[in-house]
Amino acid sequence: MEHTYQYSWIIPFIPLPVPILLGAGLLLFPTATKNLRRMWTFLSIFLLSIVMIFSLYLSIQQIFISCIHQNVWSWTINNEFSFEFGYFIDPLTSIMSILITTVGILVLIYSDNYMSHDQGYLRFFAYMGFFNTSMLGLVTSSNLIQVYFFWELVGMCSYLLIGFWFTRPIAANACQKAFVTNRVGDFGLLLGILGLYWITGSFEFQDLFEIFNNLILNNRINLLFLTLCAFLLFVGPIAKSAQFPLHVWLPDAMEGPTPISALIHAATMVAAGIFLVARLLPLFIVIPSIMYIISLIGIITVLLGATLALAQKDIKRGLAYSTMSQLGYMMLALGMGSYRSALFHLITHAYSKALLFLGSGSIIHSMEAIVGYSPDKSQNMILMGGLTKHVPITKTAFLVGTLSLCGIPPLACFWSKDEILNDSLLFSPIFAIIACSTAGLTAFYMFRIYLLTFEGHLNTYFINYSGKKSRSFYSISLWGKEEDNKLNRNFGLVPLLTMNNTKRASFFGNKTYKISNNVRNQTFITVENFGLNTRTFYYPHESDNTILFPMLVLLLFTLFIGAIGIPFNQEGIDFDILSKLLTPSINLLHTNSENFVDWYEFLKNAIFSVSIALFGIFIAYCLYKPFYSSKLNLTLLNSFQKWSSKRIRWEKPINFVYNWSYNRGYIDTFFKKSLTESIRKLAKQTNFFDKRIIDGITNGVGITSFFVGEVTKYIGGSRISSYLFLYLCYVLIFLMILFFFYFEKF
Amino acid sequence: MYLVFTTNDFPWLTIIVVFPISAGSLMLFLPHRGNKVNKWYTICICILELLLTTYAFCYNFKLDDPLIQLSEDYKWINFFDFYWRLGIDGLSIGTILLTGFITTLATLAAFPVTRDSRLFYFLMLAMYSGQIGSFSSRDILLFFIMWELELIPVYLLLSMWGGKKRLYSATKFILYTAGSSIFLLIGVLGISLYGSNEPTLNLELLANQVYPVTLEILFYIGFLIAFAVKSPIIPLHTWLPDTHGEAHYSTCMLLAGILLKMGAYGLVRINMELLPHAHSMFSPWLMVVGTIQIIYAASTSPGQRNLKKRIAYSSVSHMGFIIIGIGSITDPGLNGAILQIISHGFIGAALFFLAGTSYDRIRLVYLDEMGGMAISIPKIFTMFTILSMASLALPGMSGFIAELIVFFGIITSQKYFLISKILIIFVMAIGMILTPIYLLSMSRQMFYGYKLINAKNFSFFDSGPRELFLSISILLPIIGIGIYPDFVLSLASDKVESILSNYFYG
Repeated sequence: MEHTYQYSWIIPFIPLPVPILLGAGLLLFPTATKNLRRMWTFLSIFLLSIVMIFSLYLSIQQIFISCIHQNVWSWTINNEFSFEFGYFIDPLTSIMSILITTVGILVLIYSDNYMSHDQGYLRFFAYMGFFNTSMLGLVTSSNLIQVYFFWELVGMCSYLLIGFWFTRPIAANACQKAFVTNRVGDFGLLLGILGLYWITGSFEFQDLFEIFNNLILNNRINLLFLTLCAFLLFVGPIAKSAQFPLHVWLPDAMEGPTPISALIHAATMVAAGIFLVARLLPLFIVIPSIMYIISLIGIITVLLGATLALAQKDIKRGLAYSTMSQLGYMMLALGMGSYRSALFHLITHAYSKALLFLGSGSIIHSMEAIVGYSPDKSQNMILMGGLTKHVPITKTAFLVGTLSLCGIPPLACFWSKDEILNDSLLFSPIFAIIACSTAGLTAFYMFRIYLLTFEGHLNTYFINYSGKKSRSFYSISLWGKEEDNKLNRNFGLVPLLTMNNTKRASFFGNKTYKISNNVRNQTFITVENFGLNTRTFYYPHESDNTILFPMLVLLLFTLFIGAIGIPFNQEGIDFDILSKLLTPSINLLHTNSENFVDWYEFLKNAIFSVSIALFGIFIAYCLYKPFYSSKLNLTLLNSFQKWSSKRIRWEKPINFVYNWSYNRGYIDTFFKKSLTESIRKLAKQTNFFDKRIIDGITNGVGITSFFVGEVTKYIGGSRISSYLFLYLCYVLIFLMILFFFYFEKF
Repeated sequence: MYLVFTTNDFPWLTIIVVFPISAGSLMLFLPHRGNKVNKWYTICICILELLLTTYAFCYNFKLDDPLIQLSEDYKWINFFDFYWRLGIDGLSIGTILLTGFITTLATLAAFPVTRDSRLFYFLMLAMYSGQIGSFSSRDILLFFIMWELELIPVYLLLSMWGGKKRLYSATKFILYTAGSSIFLLIGVLGISLYGSNEPTLNLELLANQVYPVTLEILFYIGFLIAFAVKSPIIPLHTWLPDTHGEAHYSTCMLLAGILLKMGAYGLVRINMELLPHAHSMFSPWLMVVGTIQIIYAASTSPGQRNLKKRIAYSSVSHMGFIIIGIGSITDPGLNGAILQIISHGFIGAALFFLAGTSYDRIRLVYLDEMGGMAISIPKIFTMFTILSMASLALPGMSGFIAELIVFFGIITSQKYFLISKILIIFVMAIGMILTPIYLLSMSRQMFYGYKLINAKNFSFFDSGPRELFLSISILLPIIGIGIYPDFVLSLASDKVESILSNYFYG
């Protein structure tokens, strides 16, 4: 047993050969590497499954004998400073590594099919492998420097993968935005690490906590400075986990391929912030103000994410905002000190959201064939609808994911969310009200996404083939109102194609993608091809088995993963795996009283939260149930009509909320206006200063010396008389000075 | 003969210093058969020199000895005690190896140069000698002579092979550096003539000399101006963007990789070692200037339209870390500065090389005219991305560890108050946010998106084996240092301690 721990340093290094070999191969022997193609996928899946088995083994041991194992090697040896590298295995690490590897393997399998026609297939797998390595490195790190090391590496992987389709200008902007925003977080993290080092003189987690607690107990340190350092440390998780002020990168990050959104931007990397806060919780917990800040930011993010998700028309953006909101729940739970429920929600949410993203990827994959390869089209929920008939398996999976996220009982997220809501009730009533109402909002927007996507009839088909009915397309606008949506008015086929010209061209033209001399020319070719192909791509198809398989596995996870947190009554002792794993960790709210589970309390809370969720679902159903559905519920419609007569009064707030959400809460605009513009202005001003003043002085000196030279040349003019004149002048001046001094002496 | 080679008395350093320039002057006697002969001759000499250096250092240099090694002492001019005095220690070994490495790669990068190739390669080799000479001289006048010797080739390289405004920038360069050399000369003469009738030029003797405070400050200012121009320290940096913007990219590699480092090396070698009191007086100002420089250059950089100028400002910004490290007077700070010297030597050279090669293909320097090049030159795109990551101090690459250690140096420094330390660290860290803004937006403007460039020269060749070899061979040490920084840290750590001992006990 001891020796298995000894070898666990190898965890992050197991997936490493794939990116190294792939990178070297793609640079040096491109053709040979490309010929191997799927072999690389198998290799990376194989290596990742080794890690999975390994970490499963570790965590099973952790359940029985909960212990912390740590081992360090020195990285730099110097008298004055030494950095160390090592591994740190505790329950948190093993949970995270299981999470990363399971989702990672499924996403790898999924993307084999999803990316199969992409030219950057191998590049994609190289990035993925590197991401897995650095993420595993992050969760096994034993000190803060190591955390920072891998923290930046996962950020870089995310940058590369968001900008994977680099020909799209939006993706190019999005990846830069993601990196810079994350760098702001890293800035805080680094400062926090340095500040903590200054206070405690150590980077190791264990030493850090110990020294820190001692300092607090003995009151030997300025509390303000301490809080500042802890807050700076927390800025890192704010950026990485897309919490309130720095969340702007996450929705834009959806420009990356969908498997990436599932793995990095829903399940693992964004959870790194939660991981870090959980890891440093012993440190945060002794400063009450920082805990309050954490929970405050958590609750703001919960509400903001949910409201922003309300009116997104891009399916992935909607899911991204929901991810943000759920991450806010976790942060809230951590801020309240309930470590266990935060981690529980982290696990359940990761599987549910990965399922949802993979499902949306499958939808996008099947929609792309019809509406084109632009994210504006293929991810647009307005163009979807009625997919139930065409993609039944995806629909089932997506529905389960949606229900789970809404918090409907047997599914995963119900258990964890219920726990968080429960704890928030104990913590503060205001937070509890916000958290509970947001649970309703969650149900609303998730069902909005679901209904728009799967119910009714396929909207693209509607417009194109029955022009008369195009009114009805506008009637199912996003907000359930008639005249709100004015986009896509001239919705023919040809403008659709000419509007974008990057990735989409490849499918109908050739499999391989390259820009030839004239893109416009190519577009015309595509139009012709499209004309031929329309009949065959009449309806979206269900995706291939390789895409469906990971979704089904995740479906199972979503169904049953809640079980690890459910307390089973076994021979009088409570037995639940998660608590068993996390026993040594801290729990503020359940100190000693709740060793037994109060079933009555639990039931009461559960019914309450489920009813909120059901209410949200009901409203979504009212607003987004397609009008032309065959099984139209007349009474419902009537009541809806009655209500809508009074709607004028509601117009204003609804419009406000819609605009708020559609414009992403104006936060992006604000950042753009204030930060980006000011940096540009600053750059211009310093450039001006540099060019005109600093360089101007230099050039001025040069030019003056030139002129002085010219003037002397002119004066000189090689005339002896003037030389003599000057000479005599100088002699005269000299004599005068001499005379003056001489005169003064006597 | 074999015996001679194994003993310590063999004049290794003299051979290393003299070999390139003398072999270069032999190039005149080569049969005139076009570029090819010159090209291969030069590259062979460079490689031979690099191997010779490595061999000599491998077998004769002991890492745990902070004293001067491989020292040579020949009387040159009897009249004023001028010796040909060479020797290396932990401080200079890294920079000499860097010089050998970068110069070899720069000659390899200069393969497409066809105009007057014989002179071009001769100048490269002359510069090689001058640089190694100034890094390895143990005599302050010899240092000055070598310092000047290396200016002439740079001036010629700039003024003959470069862009449209090359004469302007070459003139600017020579005026700036020659102007600063006056201060260097004043300092050298002043410091050597002080105190005794005979001039003392030996650096070891000078290091033990004590001066009156005002005189020491004056000397310090003189040397500081000289090295500040070379390094560059703001506000004396404006020659650098112009020079880098106009020079051929192999010259740029030499400039960014080695020449800038000479300034930093001089700061450590002369200002820190010889004038410790003045240095401890000036070090807060150095820190302040370095911090301003990081922010200033990083915020000037996004305003540049010219690709090479943008990289040039990025290297100005990175030199700020060296200045801060030197100013912190701590063990980690100085170690970090030395590591940053080496690391930026690689990264800067590689970035200029890639910028130059992509310029060779599209013939556009302005960033707003470029775009969508990633499709046609994916390998250059890959390398450029990796190296801009290295430049913005991504962990795992050498820049990160250097900057981290410098940060550390400030934290552990006993000399400064907490508030000032916090302020400096805070502002430096803002530079950390600004760096990705300009570097990534540069790579976005160059490579991302799609753009229809003029149809006739649309199809480019991706980098061939030569360019790929070049960029990979720069990349390997960057990653190597980033993963295992002790490679470089172990070279200098003992020397750093012995330098710093002056400050604590002296």
